[in-house]
Amino acid sequence: MGLRSFFHRLTAPPVIGQSPDGPCKMVCVVNHGLKMGKGKIAAQVGHGAVMATMKAGSLKPLFVEQWLATGQKKVCLKGADADHLLALEQLAKDAGILTTLVHDAGHTQIPSGSLTVLALGPETDDLLERITGELKLL
Amino acid sequence: MASTAEHPSMVLIARKDLKMSAGKLAVQCSHAAVTCTVNARKTHARLVERWMNGGARKICLRADDLGTLQRLAGQAQSAGLVTTLVKDAGHTEVPPGTITVLGIGPAPRRAIDALVSDLKPY
Repeated sequence: MGLRSFFHRLTAPPVIGQSPDGPCKMVCVVNHGLKMGKGKIAAQVGHGAVMATMKAGSLKPLFVEQWLATGQKKVCLKGADADHLLALEQLAKDAGILTTLVHDAGHTQIPSGSLTVLALGPETDDLLERITGELKLL
Repeated sequence: MASTAEHPSMVLIARKDLKMSAGKLAVQCSHAAVTCTVNARKTHARLVERWMNGGARKICLRADDLGTLQRLAGQAQSAGLVTTLVKDAGHTEVPPGTITVLGIGPAPRRAIDALVSDLKPY
């Protein structure tokens, strides 16, 4: 350990927030109404995953820590359209799940500002299952 | 546009020969994106910040096989870029331990272009 990180450990505030009570995963729901190519979808889901990780890193750090340490499980599901994604987002928010919406800059393939992906978590499997249990795998 | 050319970029290079489904590909690419970002924040914090502010540019490219991925990973590492090879746990579709995606960056656009200019979008 370097001197700086040593001092950081001594002086950093303790990590706060609840710790997960089970294995965690991240769910990305893709707007299947848009005609996106495979590579496009991959990049959009990548945006969602990175943004969700950053968000949770400050709000639910213990969830992220556990999730990263256990292989950062991710699942990619199909959403019907933008309204479907927004409805799921509301359900997830009400359940206390962190949500991230990805809007495309529209450089390629689809109109600018389209809602492409809803990222949920990292959150416990059980809680996510309640919101996204009936969705199909992409 | 000069300003966008200055923003850092990330590339996710996936193996075409594995014939992964769209969902599988997306998940593997986001493994690479998250791992690269988490690692880069430790060593290149300001670069990551500039990248995020510039829209966190990500491109998904395809490589023909594992050899291409490994060669590019070696070149990116010698160029001092943040590099991640994603090894799949193999719960679905591919055998456990299969290397699926190479993530490079966030890194200056020019450094990335120099490595991957001959690859096609996935």
